[in-house]
Amino acid sequence: MKEEAIIHIQNLTKYYRHCNKPAINNISIDLPKGRIFGLLGPNGAGKTTMIRILCGLLHPTGGEVTIGGYSLKNEWKEIRKIIGVVPQEIALYPTLTARENLLVYGGICGLRGSNLKKRIDKWLDIFGLEKNRNQQVGKYSGGMKRRLNLIVGIIHDPEILFLDEPTVGVDVHSKNVIIENLFTINNKGTTIVYTSHYLEEAENLCSHIAIIDEGNIIIRGTLEEIRGANKPDSKLEDIFLELTGRALRD
Amino acid sequence: MSIINRLAYKDFLVIMRDRAGLAMLFIMPMALVMIMTSLQNNTFKAINESGINLIILNNDTDSLGTAIEGEIVRSNFFRVHRTIDKKKPTESMVREAVASGSYQIGIVIPADATRRIRQRVQENVSNIFSGDTTAAHKIKATDSLFIMLYVDPATKNSLRTTLQGSIREYSSKVESRIVLNELTKEISGKMMIDIPNLNIIKQETVFYREEYVARGNRTIIPNAVQHNVPAWTLFAMFFIVIPFASSMIREREDGSLSRLLTMPCSYTEIMLSKVIVYLVICMLQFSLIMLMGIYLFPIIGLPALSIHGRILSLSVMAMAAAMAAIGYGIAVGTIAKTHQQAAIFASISVVILAAIGGIWVPVFVMPPLLREISVASPLNWGLNGFYDILVRNASFSDVFPYGIWLLLFSAVCLLMAAYYHKISREFV
Repeated sequence: MKEEAIIHIQNLTKYYRHCNKPAINNISIDLPKGRIFGLLGPNGAGKTTMIRILCGLLHPTGGEVTIGGYSLKNEWKEIRKIIGVVPQEIALYPTLTARENLLVYGGICGLRGSNLKKRIDKWLDIFGLEKNRNQQVGKYSGGMKRRLNLIVGIIHDPEILFLDEPTVGVDVHSKNVIIENLFTINNKGTTIVYTSHYLEEAENLCSHIAIIDEGNIIIRGTLEEIRGANKPDSKLEDIFLELTGRALRD
Repeated sequence: MSIINRLAYKDFLVIMRDRAGLAMLFIMPMALVMIMTSLQNNTFKAINESGINLIILNNDTDSLGTAIEGEIVRSNFFRVHRTIDKKKPTESMVREAVASGSYQIGIVIPADATRRIRQRVQENVSNIFSGDTTAAHKIKATDSLFIMLYVDPATKNSLRTTLQGSIREYSSKVESRIVLNELTKEISGKMMIDIPNLNIIKQETVFYREEYVARGNRTIIPNAVQHNVPAWTLFAMFFIVIPFASSMIREREDGSLSRLLTMPCSYTEIMLSKVIVYLVICMLQFSLIMLMGIYLFPIIGLPALSIHGRILSLSVMAMAAAMAAIGYGIAVGTIAKTHQQAAIFASISVVILAAIGGIWVPVFVMPPLLREISVASPLNWGLNGFYDILVRNASFSDVFPYGIWLLLFSAVCLLMAAYYHKISREFV
C-alpha cells in the first residue's frame, strides 16, 4: 500500500548562477507522512540546496513542490506555520538566555502566555537544560547549544521538522538525548526530514532514505528496500560508498 | 503586531546585552559632541581672548608706529609682546622668534616711517601747489615704505589677511592725516589766512552695525554650541549604521535570519522591528545629547544649548535623520557580505557624507564642485534642518522639505535592501 505523502516534489531543478551544472537535477519524490526521512549524500551532492528550497530559503529554478498540501510557490505563508527547522548552524542569540531565545522564537511561531511558558519549561526539562534556563546561550557548551537549537525547531509542535545535521560536533550523551527525543516527536506524528553525514545514525533513525549525488537521487526507499536492492547484510555506509564511489568530494 | 513585538523585544535585548555596542551608541556620541564643541568653543575664545602671541618691534616712535601698535593692542585679538627675554629685539631676532614658533606673528615698523611718509607727502603737496601735477606719480621704488609682517606658517591664513588689512587701514589713516595737515599748511600759506586744521579723519562718518538675523522677532546669538551640537549629533546618529549593519550580518552569518525566515514572519517584519528599536535608540541618543547641551554644558563652562521651545520641530527632524541613518544601515547590512566590508564601507561613507554635507567645514567655504555635491548628502539636509531650527528660528513648515528628503532617502535605501534580499534568494 502506498503511503500518504506529506511532501510532494515534482521535477525540482535548481541551477546556481554562473554554474552550468544543476545542483538539483529534475528530482521527483514523495516524502511519506509521519516518517523519518533521511536525505543522504556526499559533500556537494545537493542535500542542503534541497532542504533550503523546502524551507523556503531558496527559490527553485523549476519544478513544483507541495508541503502539507500547500504549494511552495503560492502558499508559503501557510507552510511556515506547519514546519520547524533545525539548521546546521547554532541559530541562537548568544547574549540571550535559553528562556529568552525560546520566548522569542516560540512567540514568532504563534505561541502565547502560559502555553508558551509551559512548553519552554517542558522542553528545557526534557533536554536537561532547566538549570541553565537563565544563563546566556553564549556560555553554553556545544552539546547544550545543539539541544537548545533543536528545541527552537520543535517548540511549536510542527507537522514537519527539517533537521540539517542536528548532531554534528556533540558528545555521545547529547547525541543520545537528541536521537531519543526525535523518536518521541516522530511517534507523536511529526514527519522528520533529516540530513547527515553520520550514516550509522541515519541507519538507526530513518525509516526511509534517499541518497542524492550530483543533484540526482540515485536510490530511495525504506532501509530494507535499499538493502534488498544491494547486498542484504551490508551496512548503509558500504552501500553509500558503492553507489557514490570512493573519490574524495569537495 | 505581536510578531513585531517579539522581534523588537529580541533586538532590544541583544542591544542591551552588548556593552561595547551600547557605549558606541550612547557614550561615544556624547563624548564626541562634547569634545568637538569644547574644541570649537576654545578656538573661538582663543581668538577673542588674546590667545595669539604677537611680537612688535616699533622703531618708528611717531604717529604711524604709535597708531599701529595702539590699534593692535586695542583689538584684543593678540597677546602683544615688545621684548624678547626682557630686551628690545632686533628685526632678525623677531624673524627668528617667529620662525621658532615662540610667536605666531611678528611686526617690524621701520625707523622714521612717519617722517618718511610726511616727507613724501610734503614733497608731493608742494609740487602739486607749484603746478607740477606729475610729481605725485614719480615715487621711486626705494621710497616705498615696508612694514614687515613675519608669520608662523601654522597661523591661520584668515588671521594673516585680517592683520594685513588692519595695518593697511591704520597706515592709510595716518597717511591721510598727514596729507590733510600738509594741505592745511599749504592752503593757509597760499591764502594768507589762518584756517583750522582740516584733520577730519578723527571724525568717522561711516559706522557699522551688526545684527544676527533670524526668522520672526527673536534674536539668536550663534555660538560654538548652537553650531556644533546639531552637526556632531547628526554625525553620531549616522554612525549607528555600523552597529546596525553588523547586527544584521551577525544574524545572517549565524543562521538566525534564515531561521526567522522559515518561521511565520516576513523579511519586512524582521526589518520593521529593527527600525523601531534603532529609531528609539537614535531618539534617546538625540535627547541625551540635547539634554547634555542644555544642562551639562553650562556647568563645564560652555554656553548652554538654546532650543527655543522648538522641541517638536527638533524631534521631527531628528526622527527623519534617524530614519535616513537606519535605512542606510539596512542597505549596508543587506548588501555587504562580511563584517569587515560593512564596517569599512559604513564608516568611510559616513565620514565622506559628513565631510561633503558640511559637518566639518561650512558648505559655503567649499570649492564649487563640492558645494554642488553637498546637496546630495543626507547629512547636509539634516544639518540645514537643524540649523534652520536652532539658529535661523525656522518653523516646522520651513524645515519640512528637509525632513521629506531624509525620509525619501530612507525609503530608497529600504527598497534597495528589499530588492537585493529578493534577488539573493531567487538568483543565487
